[in-house]
Order: sequence, then C-alpha cells, then structure tokens
Amino acid sequence: MVQTDNLTFHYKKKEYTFRFPNISLKNQENLLILGKSGIGKTTLLHLLAGLLKPVSGTIIINGAPINRLSHSHLDTFRGQNIGMVFQKNHAIRSLNVFDNLQARLFFGRKSISKPSIDDLLEQLDLSDFKKSKVNELSEGQLQRLGFALSVIHNPQVILADEPTSSLDDENCKMVMDLLINQAKRTHANLIVITHDHRIKPLFSKAITL
Amino acid sequence: MTIWKISIQNLRSKPFYTFLSVFSLALSIALLLGIQQLETSFKYQMENNLGDIDLVIGAKGSPLQLVLASVLHMDNPTGNIPYEDAKKVSKNPMIKSAVPISYGDNYKGYRIVGTTNEFANFYHAALEKGQAIKKSMEVILGHTVAEKLQLKIGDTFLSSHGLVDNDIEKHSESLKVVGIYKPTQKVIDRLIITNLESIWDVHHTEDEHEHEDEHGPGHEHKESHIGHPEDVYEGNEITSLLISFRNPSALLALPRRINKQTNMQAALPKYELDRLYKYTGVGVKTISWIAYMILVISCMTIFISLYKMVKEHAFDLALLRTYGASNFQLIRMVGYEGCIIGLLAFLLGILLSKMGLYFMFKIVETEYKQNMLHELPFTEFLQIGALVLIMILTSISLAIYPIIKMNISTILSHEK
Repeated sequence: MVQTDNLTFHYKKKEYTFRFPNISLKNQENLLILGKSGIGKTTLLHLLAGLLKPVSGTIIINGAPINRLSHSHLDTFRGQNIGMVFQKNHAIRSLNVFDNLQARLFFGRKSISKPSIDDLLEQLDLSDFKKSKVNELSEGQLQRLGFALSVIHNPQVILADEPTSSLDDENCKMVMDLLINQAKRTHANLIVITHDHRIKPLFSKAITL
Repeated sequence: MTIWKISIQNLRSKPFYTFLSVFSLALSIALLLGIQQLETSFKYQMENNLGDIDLVIGAKGSPLQLVLASVLHMDNPTGNIPYEDAKKVSKNPMIKSAVPISYGDNYKGYRIVGTTNEFANFYHAALEKGQAIKKSMEVILGHTVAEKLQLKIGDTFLSSHGLVDNDIEKHSESLKVVGIYKPTQKVIDRLIITNLESIWDVHHTEDEHEHEDEHGPGHEHKESHIGHPEDVYEGNEITSLLISFRNPSALLALPRRINKQTNMQAALPKYELDRLYKYTGVGVKTISWIAYMILVISCMTIFISLYKMVKEHAFDLALLRTYGASNFQLIRMVGYEGCIIGLLAFLLGILLSKMGLYFMFKIVETEYKQNMLHELPFTEFLQIGALVLIMILTSISLAIYPIIKMNISTILSHEK
C-alpha cells in the first residue's frame, strides 16, 4: 500500500519547486508514471524510496510514514521493504554473483534460505554464474542480476527507474514480465517511471507528470 | 555475509594497490622498529659492557679511544703506562678496586687480556669450568670464545701479536686453557683472560730472541721469566688501569688530578659514551626522519587508495544504501579496509625488521665476536604501534568524508 499527499520537493540550487500529484495504491496495485525528462520522475521515485526528504507532504508505505522516520529507521525500512530497479544495472564489483545477493540480504536485514536464492538464480538462468565476478557477466546477465538484487528480499514496493528504455522489444517484454510476476507473487506494489510507451498497455493505472 | 567479508573482497579485487599500500607501510614500520632496536641494542650493549668500571686510566691521547680500547675492547690502545705509576694511583682511598690490564695479542681475533683475578669481578663473571689462573701462560676463556673456537680445558694454543688474527707474527710459547667463564652477555665473553705476567713473558722472551745478537749476553731480559717472582717485572708497563670507586664523589676529583698531575690520562667511560651517542645520534636521527617520512607517504598511499575506492565506487556505495546499508556500515567497510592494510603492514614490518636486523647482526657478530642484539622494550614497540594506528585512523577519517557528504539520489540519477 502506497499513499502520498501533497508532495513537494525543492532542489537547493534550483528555483523550481516540484509538486507531485497524489498517489494512492492498494495492495498489489501497479502504477506507471509517465513524463518528459526533467519533469521530476526520478525525484518522485527517490522520494518514495526515502532517498530524498520531501519539503512538504506525506508518504505512507504499508502504514509507515516514511518521511517522518529517523535516518536509521529509514535505512532499515528501505532495506526490508523496497526494491529498486535501475536503467543500467549495477552490482558490487568486488563480490561475485552469489555474494552480491548475500550482501543485499545482509544489509536489508533479511534472511532467505540458500535454496530460495538458488531458485531465483535458476529462474533467471544465472545458476552457472553463481561464483562469477560481476565484470565477467554479459549485459543481459547483468540485467537479470540487477533484477535478482531488487527482488531477492521480497520487497513490498518495487520501484523501477526506466527499466526498459535501452532494451529491444524482446528484452523489454521479458523484463516487464519478470517485474509484474514478481510483484504478483509477493503481493507487492510495482511502480515504474518511464517515457517508454511500449509498456503502457501492461498497466491499468497510470499518471503523467 | 559480514562487512568484514566485503572489505576483504574489496581488497582482494585490487591486489596491486593493496600490496603497494601494505608494502610501503610495512617498510616504514620496519625501518622505525629496526632503527629503534638498533639504537637500544647499541646503547644497552655499550653500557652493559662497562660493567662496574667507573674510570679508566691510560696513556695520553683520545679519551674516547681509551674507553673504546680498554673498556669495550673495540679499538687500539693509546699506548702504555708504567705499572709503578698505576700502582701509586691505586693506593688512593676513594678507589674500591683498581685492576691493571695489558694487552696486544690475540688468538684468532679474540683479544688476550693480561690482568689480575679481580678483572672478572667487574662483570660478575664466575667460572663455569676449571680453576683460577695460578701461573703465567695459563688462560681462562670467555664463554663465546670457548664456544666459537671449540676449546676445552687443557687445550693449548699459540697467540699472535697484534689485535687482528694473523699467522705471521705468532708467538712461540703456547698458552694453556685452565678455565672457562659462564656467559655474562658482557664484553668478557669474548676475551681471553690471562695474568699480566703471561703478557710480559711472551713479549720479553721475544725481545730476548730478537735482540740476542745485537746485545749479546748481559741483556736485561736474557732469561725467561716464567714462574719468576713478581719483582722481576719492575719497570714493566701496562696498557691501562680500570677503576671502580667507593662513592660517586670521586668521579670529579680523581680524574682531574690524574690529568693534571701525571703523565697519564683518566677517562670516564659513561661520559665518553654519551659523547659517542651524540655523534652517532645524528645518523640515527636522520634515518628516523626518513622512516617517519616514509610512514607519512605510505599513509598517504592508504588514504589515496581508500579515497579512490570511495570516489570511484560511489555508485556501489549508493547502491548499498538502497539495499538498506546505513552510512555507518559503509564507513565501517572503508575503516576495516584501512585496518586490514595496517595490520598486515604491521606484521610484515615486524617480520622485515627482524629479518633485516638478524642478517645485519650476523655480520656485526663476526666482526665483533659478540651477539649484540637486544630486544626492543615493549613501551617503544607500543609507541610505534600507536603512531601507525593514529596515522591510519587519520587516513581513514579523511577518506570517509565523501561518504558522510554523499547524496545517494544525485549519484543514482547521474550514473544512470
């Protein structure tokens, strides 16, 4: 459940104040946020992830007013409930695939059994690369690892920032399927920001900034 | 998964940088430890070798040379003094004991010192085997001498003239081992002790042989003196007189009187050594400064390595924050990296300094025939440890500054 009310944000060096429309998502509801670049899509996503603090307004995720949480509580909340998917996929370069997932769980203070991790890797066709270094992976494998890292801890909210803009149609469909299925499986809300109109039909709810 | 593991993996993923940081820091630690231990060993050995000797009286010349030659047995003597004059000085009531020594011969590089039985008292040396010297041409060996030359009681050997091992100027009369001292870790360990008469006899006999043709019969040393009563030795010379006082007030009065009123000079070993440290101290200080410079530079290397990590991996760190990591956890991650480097460097540094000193002292040992290595006091060890720790902590706290200032949102949206 995600709810925002009268959310505004102001960057220190800029005159302009972002005002965001209210969001109200029930359990398992997904949302597509469309808009031109520079309109504040990423800012809104970071507000929802608790990476930025709003100037005014409230954000409530699963009953927790995250704009009022202390730093340490926010870190914990983010680690446990939020999964972020980025346009370009990153993982910790010094760790191998399996250790990256372990690190994700460690910092998120979640414990997932080893077989479940193996299951996820199997599902994403990464089983053979469990012990591989991140820089040994192909672009596609890295993309799937990025996805694994965002969902391994079964987050309540999955926030995706332009997950498909650099992908061809086939991969675009694959990534969106993965995201939507994962959200369905764990009863999570999926919020995607994009200017990619290909994925519009997949969402019943959409707002434009 | 722990933060330690991530830190270790971070270090392992850049082995060259890690090695460079560890090695340069280890080098400076080794240098610091080494120079400190060298200085400590040197001073300890010097002062230990003084034994209970407060004053040394010998021929005029350099007082430092007199001390080095007659007390530490490292240099050539300044000359000889008449035994009669030395005896007169010995009668002074301020003197607890006055021991004459005479030398100029060696056996395989170990000095042969002619003296009285009181000489061993300066070093609290007790006999391990055998007995005291009863007559001329008998010797007691210092522990190192007996060990290194594999000599036993009853063995005999021919001494050579001079203080350096040589086969050319061998004396013709053999010396007999009658005793071996227990180890003292002092200079007596590497000396061969005999009585004054042995030295005089050896040299007089040779004078006799050398001058027989020139002077013919009637030369004053024409007979061998072995076993003769002491008055035969009147007019003989000794190299120096070692003195210990009854009370310290004599330290000022007596040397001044001797230096003014007699043809001899008196030198205070402790004072002369302090002067020596002042000369050698410049070298020690220079090397110490170089070591400190390397320490600073290596800490800068660590700082750069950590800072580079923080800057270049800013996205990774921001990513970890989205995983739920707190700022403090990231700081710990960087901190552990620095600590691991510091710990490895410290261990390697100790190892390097031990190895370096071991080989150095191997060389010194053969030259001075004495084990001079002395353990560094724990406090000095701790001091260096604390210094390194402070330097590393400084590097770490400078390197983590970007983490504290990190704006996750900006990093994530810019590197997209």
